[in-house]
Amino acid sequence: MSGADFKVVLLGSEDVGKTSLMKRYIQDRFQCRPHQNTIGAAFASRTISTRGRQFVMGIWDTAGSERYYAMSQLYYRDAKAAIVCFDLTELVTFDRAKQWITELRNHEEDCKIYLCGTKKDVVDDGIKAPALSHEKALQYAKGIGAVYMETSSKTGLNVGELFQLIADECVLPSIHNRDDSIKLRPSPNKNNACCLAS
Amino acid sequence: MASSKSEEDVDDKGENDEGKHPEGNLLNFEPEVPVESMLVPTDNFDSFEQEAPPDPATLQDDDNLVECQKIARNTSDENTEDPDKNGTSRSMSELSLVSVESSEPQQVDDEVSNNSEWRSQEKHIFILSSAGKPIYSRHGSEDKLVTLFGVMQALVSFIGDDGDTVRSIHAQGTLFVFLIKGPIILACVCKTRESVSQITVQLNYVYSQIVSVLTLEQLTRIYEQRRNYDLRRLLAGAERLVDHLLIALETQPALLLGAVQCLPLASTTRDTITSTIVSCCNKIKNLVFAILVGGNQLVTLIRMKKFFLHPADLHLILNLVNSSESFKAAESWTPICLPKFNSRGFLHAHVSYLAEDCQACLLLLTVDPDLFFPLSEAKQKIVEKLRRASLLQSINAALAHPGTPVSQLGVPEARHFLYKCKATAQFWGPVPAPPYQSSEGAKRLLDQYRVLHHRLHAPSQPLKLLYLQDHAETMLGWITTGFELYVAFEPLVTKANAISAVNKILRWIKKDENGLFITNAPTF
Repeated sequence: MSGADFKVVLLGSEDVGKTSLMKRYIQDRFQCRPHQNTIGAAFASRTISTRGRQFVMGIWDTAGSERYYAMSQLYYRDAKAAIVCFDLTELVTFDRAKQWITELRNHEEDCKIYLCGTKKDVVDDGIKAPALSHEKALQYAKGIGAVYMETSSKTGLNVGELFQLIADECVLPSIHNRDDSIKLRPSPNKNNACCLAS
Repeated sequence: MASSKSEEDVDDKGENDEGKHPEGNLLNFEPEVPVESMLVPTDNFDSFEQEAPPDPATLQDDDNLVECQKIARNTSDENTEDPDKNGTSRSMSELSLVSVESSEPQQVDDEVSNNSEWRSQEKHIFILSSAGKPIYSRHGSEDKLVTLFGVMQALVSFIGDDGDTVRSIHAQGTLFVFLIKGPIILACVCKTRESVSQITVQLNYVYSQIVSVLTLEQLTRIYEQRRNYDLRRLLAGAERLVDHLLIALETQPALLLGAVQCLPLASTTRDTITSTIVSCCNKIKNLVFAILVGGNQLVTLIRMKKFFLHPADLHLILNLVNSSESFKAAESWTPICLPKFNSRGFLHAHVSYLAEDCQACLLLLTVDPDLFFPLSEAKQKIVEKLRRASLLQSINAALAHPGTPVSQLGVPEARHFLYKCKATAQFWGPVPAPPYQSSEGAKRLLDQYRVLHHRLHAPSQPLKLLYLQDHAETMLGWITTGFELYVAFEPLVTKANAISAVNKILRWIKKDENGLFITNAPTF
């Protein structure tokens, strides 16, 4: 039914780089030209191995536009992990990330939260000053029991690590629940934008 | 405009019936009419207009889109003659984009007064809320045009106070058309040769695009709750859909004709593609439409038995696909409202391109929000089957085909034509050849088609046959019960040659009908 062994959802304001993050992870590509906003949501999956076993991670990249907020629950329902993104250089996106986290806490108690500060390269290259300090973001994340990471989809910094961490932390508990009922079959195609796992 | 042209009707404005045509019986040329069409037939373009809400102010006129004469009279009586008489007229002259400088020093929008590029645009489209809040401007930034939006809102509400509705204003070669849709006002200011009814149809399309993104229910609710709402917050990112739609309206005949073009394919090939999709999807409940498109053309469309798709909705779908690169990267699960199908709710669309090596886009539309994975699975099966049957290659070959030039038809007099099959709401035309290859040439041709289309469908006096001759080309338009034909000839063609060319075109179309059009109406 789910098309993947476990579900990860990307949330956050528009233009923080959710699609770029997914594209970097799935296709290992980064497009610099102005990105078109996502319409609705996009799905992609990738096999990932943790502790010697392979799993299919299904990733939902949601639209950041306000008009889709009403239906966002459709996308994060039953997610094992949520990557809540904000733009390191835009404070307003951090505030919005907090709202997302509150909403997730209310609706999906079991969903692990990964707070992700994006566009690290912009900060590192000195193009824009960071809107909040690393410590402040980290402190907030710790306070809510979330993991905090800073990524750059342009350079690939921490992208693979983030998803690997999610796999390491989320797969095992969920597998125990599923092992007796569902036989897991890793997809033959690595990096396929869509896969079947029944 | 019309006076610059020598113009005559071949058959006394089409009073002759088809049987008396010089070439004899032409009934053979009528397109094959399927028992049922997959698309809602659009008889003519009036059917689009009738979507405009009935307006008590114009009930005395027999058609609901006749320009509001009273308004035109009022404005000319009051002030258009003297632009500096009072404040209203100053705004009017700004609106008309005629360079009448205000004699009094007053703060006006920079964009309006100083930006010559903005002023020189042939056609402007504005969207605003009934409270006067800017929503969209085709050119320039809405924020710089706040005053202008205020003027438009004032005009609309001033006239609305008397229970009237402003439809259009005609001034100094500039046409102003308004469309009021509940809490939203759409306005077009243009110096093109388009008619009020044609522009109203376009504004209706733009409105449908907005409804398609938000649903009518959401749109109405927002403004009920907050009359002063800034709709741009919700439409963020959707401007490009409106931009793209407006470009399509300016450059493509499809929306003018209210018809879609099909990807030319041998009918057996198309039927196999269709049956492949049906076989992979027929067990999925609540799947309403499966649509395969490529290169802005329809490959096939399969529908649930009791539902039909309106061409206007299909145009919105094509617009979505054509303006969204992101669909190429990953499978998408997208809410879309099809206003003619149901303006109150969203359908959920599974959108994906068939394969990296086959750039046709498959859309599976359902009412069930939990159907993503079954549809994703079905799509994989469809692609596998199509690949095994080498049908992806057939689609690729058809997509790569440069199109048929009119010269291949053996009709040297004709430079271009558009043929619309009314019952199936589909059309076909050859690829533009000189002199229509350049963008100016293509634009002029489309302008000519617009004039022809307008005259043939004029609400007050619709014509069946029209022959227009001017210095650049001779245009012939012909409407029968089954088809509409618009032909551009070289300017010096004789009527006899034109008629024989028309017959050759019709014969050619008839011969290739099964490849050029989808003549059946497949269902799940």
